[in-house]
Amino acid sequence: MAATDTIQAPVDDQPPSAVVRLGSARGGWFRQVGWRHIIGLLALAFSLFPILFVVSAALNPLGTLSSSDLVPSGASLENFRKLFADTSFPIWFLNSMIIGLLAAALSMFVSACAAFAFSRFRFKGRRAGLLGILLVQMFPQFLLIVALYIMFAYVSDLWPAVGFNTRTGLLLLYLGGALGTNTWLMKGFFDTIPKDLDESAKVDGATHAQVFFGLILPLVTPILAVTGLLGFISAVNEFLIASIFLTDDSAKTAAVGLYGLVSEERNNNFGVFAAGALVLAVPTVALFQFLQRYIVGGLTAGAVKG
Amino acid sequence: MARTDVPVRTTTPPKPRLGLGADGTASPLGLIIKIGVLGVVAAIAVWAAFPLIATGNWIGLIILVAVSALIFYVYLSPRVIPAKYLIPGTLFLIVFQVLPVLFTLSTAFTNFGDGHRGSKDEAIAAVEGASVQQVPGSTVYTLTLATDGDPATGDIVFLLTDPATKAAFVGTADGLEPLANAQQSADGKVTSAGGYEVLDIGQISARSADIVEFSVPTAKGAIKNQGLSRAFEGTPQQAYNNDCDCITDRTTGQTWTANGDDGVFVDGQGQALAQGWKVNVGFRNFAEVVTNPVIRASFLKILLWNIGFALGVVLITFGLGLLVALVLNKPELRGQRLYRSLIILPYAMPAVAMMLVWRDMFNTDFGLINRLFGLHVNWFGSAPSSMFAILLVQLWLGYNYMFLVSTGALQAIPADLTEAAQVDGARPFHAFRTITFPLLLVALAPLLISSFAFNFNNFTAIYLVSEGAPFPPDNPQAGATDILITYTYRLAFGGAGAQYGFAAAISVFIFLIVATISVVSFRRTHALEEIN
Amino acid sequence: MHSTRLSALSAVAALLLAGCASDAGADAGTRPSLLIWTGGGAGGEATQALGARFGEENGVDVKVQIIPEDLQTQFVTASQAGRAPDVVMGAHDWIGNLVQNATIDPLQMTDDTKAGYQDLAIKAVTFNGQVYGMPFTMNNIVLFRNTALVPDAPTSIEDLVAKGKALKAAGKVDEILALPIGPTGDPYHINPLFTSGGGYIFGTKDSGDFDPSDLGVAKPGATAAYAKIRALGEGGSGALKRSITADNILSLFSTGKAPFMISGPWQLPELKKTSVKYDISPVPPFAGGQPARPFITVDAAYVASRGTNKALAQEFVTNFWSRPDVGTSLYAATSSVPALKEALATVRKDDALVGKVADAGVEFGQIMPSIPAMAVVWDPLGKAEAAVVGGADPGSTITAAASAIQAQIK
Repeated sequence: MAATDTIQAPVDDQPPSAVVRLGSARGGWFRQVGWRHIIGLLALAFSLFPILFVVSAALNPLGTLSSSDLVPSGASLENFRKLFADTSFPIWFLNSMIIGLLAAALSMFVSACAAFAFSRFRFKGRRAGLLGILLVQMFPQFLLIVALYIMFAYVSDLWPAVGFNTRTGLLLLYLGGALGTNTWLMKGFFDTIPKDLDESAKVDGATHAQVFFGLILPLVTPILAVTGLLGFISAVNEFLIASIFLTDDSAKTAAVGLYGLVSEERNNNFGVFAAGALVLAVPTVALFQFLQRYIVGGLTAGAVKG
Repeated sequence: MARTDVPVRTTTPPKPRLGLGADGTASPLGLIIKIGVLGVVAAIAVWAAFPLIATGNWIGLIILVAVSALIFYVYLSPRVIPAKYLIPGTLFLIVFQVLPVLFTLSTAFTNFGDGHRGSKDEAIAAVEGASVQQVPGSTVYTLTLATDGDPATGDIVFLLTDPATKAAFVGTADGLEPLANAQQSADGKVTSAGGYEVLDIGQISARSADIVEFSVPTAKGAIKNQGLSRAFEGTPQQAYNNDCDCITDRTTGQTWTANGDDGVFVDGQGQALAQGWKVNVGFRNFAEVVTNPVIRASFLKILLWNIGFALGVVLITFGLGLLVALVLNKPELRGQRLYRSLIILPYAMPAVAMMLVWRDMFNTDFGLINRLFGLHVNWFGSAPSSMFAILLVQLWLGYNYMFLVSTGALQAIPADLTEAAQVDGARPFHAFRTITFPLLLVALAPLLISSFAFNFNNFTAIYLVSEGAPFPPDNPQAGATDILITYTYRLAFGGAGAQYGFAAAISVFIFLIVATISVVSFRRTHALEEIN
Repeated sequence: MHSTRLSALSAVAALLLAGCASDAGADAGTRPSLLIWTGGGAGGEATQALGARFGEENGVDVKVQIIPEDLQTQFVTASQAGRAPDVVMGAHDWIGNLVQNATIDPLQMTDDTKAGYQDLAIKAVTFNGQVYGMPFTMNNIVLFRNTALVPDAPTSIEDLVAKGKALKAAGKVDEILALPIGPTGDPYHINPLFTSGGGYIFGTKDSGDFDPSDLGVAKPGATAAYAKIRALGEGGSGALKRSITADNILSLFSTGKAPFMISGPWQLPELKKTSVKYDISPVPPFAGGQPARPFITVDAAYVASRGTNKALAQEFVTNFWSRPDVGTSLYAATSSVPALKEALATVRKDDALVGKVADAGVEFGQIMPSIPAMAVVWDPLGKAEAAVVGGADPGSTITAAASAIQAQIK
């Protein structure tokens, strides 16, 4: 079995574990691929069925959330019409996309730089710094709101261009979290790249910047794509900070705007909210589709050979 | 295997000590980018400096100059290479995370919270302002706002009409006088008066601060405006007296004496006025955390579940995520891209809404889960089932994240390594266990630790799904699925107003616990880090 | 030499960029402006429209911002940071907290203005003898019944349960009553039953204000009431269930699965979209019990102490927000009962249901306490309710809740 595997492209061989366990005497197709469909479909079912309720609520003209009615009492696109006609959703959506893409790109870059330093250089305070990044993230966010608010009240007075209700201000705030989980994630990946690679490049006269931009970054394209996507999703879905930061209707992100529709305790706007949540998921899926080619197959087998 | 901390050696010739090309920025492109970036930094610094200078904020200016100088030094110096990569993220981290954390921690030593947010002077002003009442039997005047002289700079005056008699008055900072030459509308409102400029709404708005300050003194109190067209004679019922450091009620004679330890005004019976102020309380909040009987009774139980929850979430999400990533990581698999896109969909949905959907699915009588499996389980009615439900929701919310990261990780692992193993004849599972998985751990161990730390304080996961339920009938404070942070929230914010100082003190304890756990596990990654 | 030239270049770039940036900065309008914060939902949208009306009438730029999450806390935080709006809209039970944080000003209402409002509305916004807000809508819960299934309103809880049970036995409905409880209870919705069974939350002082030192939850009446509630619970007749929540009552009632629903007029806009036939009556009492008293909540407009344009804010709140046409517009959006008598009279002509809600409130309603001590009651009392509905012993459960509440009232 191992012998047949080696004939295929090297990338294919990485998950051979289950083949051994499940590879019974069935046909070759099933042993190779078929069982993967079964697990894939199960995972898909698990992922998707709660979302069916959201779809159902979005199509249901009666705007409540209740899993007792998986089949809506009437199917219509009324909620979608309302979403676009009666709310500022198009503007919110645009804001979310701008902030999401910029935050994803910038924080990816910032944390890749930091991860490179943490992985490739040995300097004083390195491990303390890594730990510090982690510890700061652990502080409960909802306690920080007051401090952030007071701080930005000053900032808004001095520099309104980056104060409350501005995209730039929110972006800066999000960059505060760039040196966080993503740095740890990327550092882990940088560590898997053999150091002999940069050593030999340096012997050939490359500077540290050339090593970073020319050698390391292309090698970790998959993880750059992953962190980019994660950054996009978290910026688009971030609500706690955005909701205190953006109060102008035209400045809101979609997450803040949509929650405004259901914020009243006795709300009945869930259908419109559900419609908005679905529309908001579309760009994420599209972005993932686009990034998949970098995540998968971004590497050629020989690239890492030192 | 492990490398010692040898500075990275370069083979390029010696460089000038300071300057744009100093650290070996060899290519012209690199130089241009560097100039551009430093130019932007300088531009931002100059732009940011103007308001600081205008407002006389010299400390801010010094910090700005120092930070800009630091940035220039770091990028123009041939040394401090790591700093070149760390400085952008670090600056953001310090400003937007570290400073707020420090500020919040400093409140742990105060009684900061609802009713104790401002200074003593603000509290006094609020008490006096809230006690202003209309002088009994006094007139409510029809008001026209005007100025004595130029609308932008002249003194504010009230042009007043008694609605009953239509008699007109002018109220100034000196008092109330009859107004002789007033033109009045049908309802008595003064429309113009010689020597005074009647203000339009724009002018009123521009003078808003002066109007708030202004009042017409009278024998029994003062005339204040209420809106733009009415004024009344009012008097504060309660006033602060500096001699006794107390507040006295004019009508009843009751007094409330300032208590500087608690930041409140209290009367003889110990009843405090609503408006208090912020004072330092030293370690009192910390002492309360340690001595609070409710906390002591439930702490250990909550801590154990808290650790179990965080650990459990990391293990199951990583386990399932990795499994699915491995299974789908085969190019021959048709629809591979579609599978992947749809599997990450839960991560793209708003988590708050999805948690509510899940809570609804666990409903005893109407929930999908009971109906699907023909059960009648009250999921949030017993501790094990409630814990199971919470973990299942977190698995759904989190496994796709781990799936995504593992998929990336599997791609980044040098394929030649597994290839080599298989050429050596290693069985696939053996190859996975000995080569792929250890490498995955190198890549993902830091992430798993940070995921643990995140989930340790995952407030919404508990709060929106079970709210901590089930609660024993005799203890509404500590539920079986409460974690420390939800428990803290209930103690500090569930009662009469938010107690930020107390909450900050508890979070210091939580912080110490989770930090200890993380530091210990972080130590163990040392070996992983140096694997190649 | 080389690097000097480059440094000069970057300095030039810096100045150019700085120039662009500062140009873009200042553009302050000179028109007077008023900033209003309100919560989301239908009321938020209606407030936006009304704000625009005030703006047109007075030549003011009115900005209405919807704060989706935790408006009360955000308003307090913003006030503390010196960035408060001029006006904030909120429920009357916020007043205690807003006053202790020195964030809202008392209003001087003339007797004429006061006389225009329902008495309970003015009572609700009065705190420590001062009126703080201009009320606009008030709400209380009532009994909705499916008239196709139950033509006549039940006269008592026992009657209601008997009718519901008969329908359930006949297979016409699945549930007896849709009354939200949920895993952690809902003291707001159970209050009519709690009071009818002999319970109360806080006693009142001679002045009419609630007295935090008289906690009814610790009294025998509360235990008696909870014993009656337990008999309706999961181990009893099954009329009350923890599986019924605020999220599913409307679908239970509108699909005919439950013949009765106890909820408020905020359900009316959605209910009108369905085909169910229904009517409204007061929540009935237990047979031979005390009156069943629903809580009355009042929404009001407040003038922020630290707003930038206080005179305009006072004008908006006292002279504009108290207008009958404003009251009817808000009714149109929210289906809530107008607090203003004149607006209620107008609305009542077209909408008999809102009239019935208002009458039930006037006859039986009880102002929801706004004293800060009330905030510590909700959570323990709700959990006790859920436990008792699930079958826990009423006596020990309510005692534990009472001691937890008492420990927190300072």
